Amino acid sequence: MITKTDVERVARLACIDLDDEDLQEFTIQFNSILEYFEALEEIKAELIKQEEHNVLRSDEVTPSLSQQEALSNAPRVDSGYFKGPRIL
Amino acid sequence: MSPRERIEKMLDAIECSDLNAFITVDYEGARRQATEADSGEVDGRLAGIPVGIKDAISTKGLRTTCASKMLEHYVPPYDAFVIRKLREEGAVLIGKTNMDEFSMGASTETSFFGPCKNPWDLNCVPGGSSGGSAASVAANEADLALGSDTGGSIRCPASFCGVVGLKPTYGRVSRSGLVSYGNSMEQIGPIARTVKECATLFEIIAGHDPSDSTSLDIPVPRCVSSLSNDITGMKIGIPLDFFGEGVDPAVENATRDAIDVLEDLGARVAETSMPSLKYALSAYYIQAMSEASSNLARYCGIIYGHRVQKDHEWHRTFSENRASGFGKEVKRRVLLGTYALSAGYYDKYYLKALKARTLISADFHKAFQQYDALIAPTMPYVAFKIGEKIEDPLSLYKVDINTVPVNLANLPSLSIPCGRKGRLPIGMQIIGDRLKEALLFNIGWQFERNTEFNIYAK
Repeated sequence: MITKTDVERVARLACIDLDDEDLQEFTIQFNSILEYFEALEEIKAELIKQEEHNVLRSDEVTPSLSQQEALSNAPRVDSGYFKGPRIL
Repeated sequence: MSPRERIEKMLDAIECSDLNAFITVDYEGARRQATEADSGEVDGRLAGIPVGIKDAISTKGLRTTCASKMLEHYVPPYDAFVIRKLREEGAVLIGKTNMDEFSMGASTETSFFGPCKNPWDLNCVPGGSSGGSAASVAANEADLALGSDTGGSIRCPASFCGVVGLKPTYGRVSRSGLVSYGNSMEQIGPIARTVKECATLFEIIAGHDPSDSTSLDIPVPRCVSSLSNDITGMKIGIPLDFFGEGVDPAVENATRDAIDVLEDLGARVAETSMPSLKYALSAYYIQAMSEASSNLARYCGIIYGHRVQKDHEWHRTFSENRASGFGKEVKRRVLLGTYALSAGYYDKYYLKALKARTLISADFHKAFQQYDALIAPTMPYVAFKIGEKIEDPLSLYKVDINTVPVNLANLPSLSIPCGRKGRLPIGMQIIGDRLKEALLFNIGWQFERNTEFNIYAK
């Protein structure tokens, strides 16, 4: 069983504000969805590790975005910087 | 008709259309590109041909919203790899097509810009998430389109709209410039009215791209030149697990009749079973939601995207930006993904999903030791009514039951029309082993040529 408190905790972790209506609705829906996912519990198999390898490339300088392009979609900028909210 | 005349006709059709297949129409750009094609100075396999682009694919200077309020005003400063390929071939990029918000859905109802409609019945969904791409191609509002397929998002709308769509092998087509949702499973792919056009577009967009580290550095297959190969002796498996509970008998019958046609053309057919597929839907959703929770963490409203008027301390500001920028389904998936990855639940959900993925890949591997291709219904039913499933998320997730297995196993799958229920199209998917796209097009072309189901192939 997942409770309203659990959904609130996850919403805080994910940085998404939920209003009471969403919280109610999601709590009910999450229970039925997670119950459906429980079908996987019977799987006994060991995880077979896929062969993994790093993909490396040589460190060469190639053209990249200009400062103007990089800032072009930012809602708030100041003197060529992205302007964020305060941290403290 | 000259390219410019055709484009004008198409722009008019879009303007008068009830489908809502486009989020942004690039009138000026399309006219300019068509005029260039008219001058005869553009060559390339797509010279003057209007192509619709799913709004999840970055187009330089042309708004790319992912059907989200979060990216309502986002204008990419660069082109996706596949867009560069289209431009090199002289294509006319007519506009950005409607979709489910951040590709999360199977009905194109979760778009911030309103639902897209099915051209065969305006009360029905076109499928999703690449609904606008398939609907525009079906309704002559574009000749070709690009979609992306994480759990069926190309094949589902292709099936519901009666057109042809390919989900390529993972790594075949660069994801550079595609807005990420579930990046261990998704691929950009072609949507077209006929198998040949679909194969042509696939050849153009496939190929190695160093800026996507999962892109395969192997030659692009020649698909168009092998379309008419004889399929005598080809071994085709019917995985019964795709014909289970919930599959409309009309869809099952159409698929089985289609397989009979292939048998008449010389294919050898047998039934088979893949028991691990019962885990596919859960494994897919856990994996996709987990990846989404991480991928969508970037939308905090600072570097780009939606930002509320007043700043507070960072956590409150981010939470408010995300609460007002994301729609409900996106929130649902990000939250469930965050839950599945959180301390104490990782083993129960995410790790189990990875194990299921291993089992499913192994079952497909076994099947392809016996068969050249597998054939199954793309969707369990034909297009449903707008509003019919949107209130119950789990019922909407179950729509993907037949499409998610190939994404989990990184395989290619081609959906083609194979019948109708009333006015609404039925689609079947031809699934192949890794890198076997040419074979899928070959089977699809033989079927299309020897039947009357694809009304566009006349």
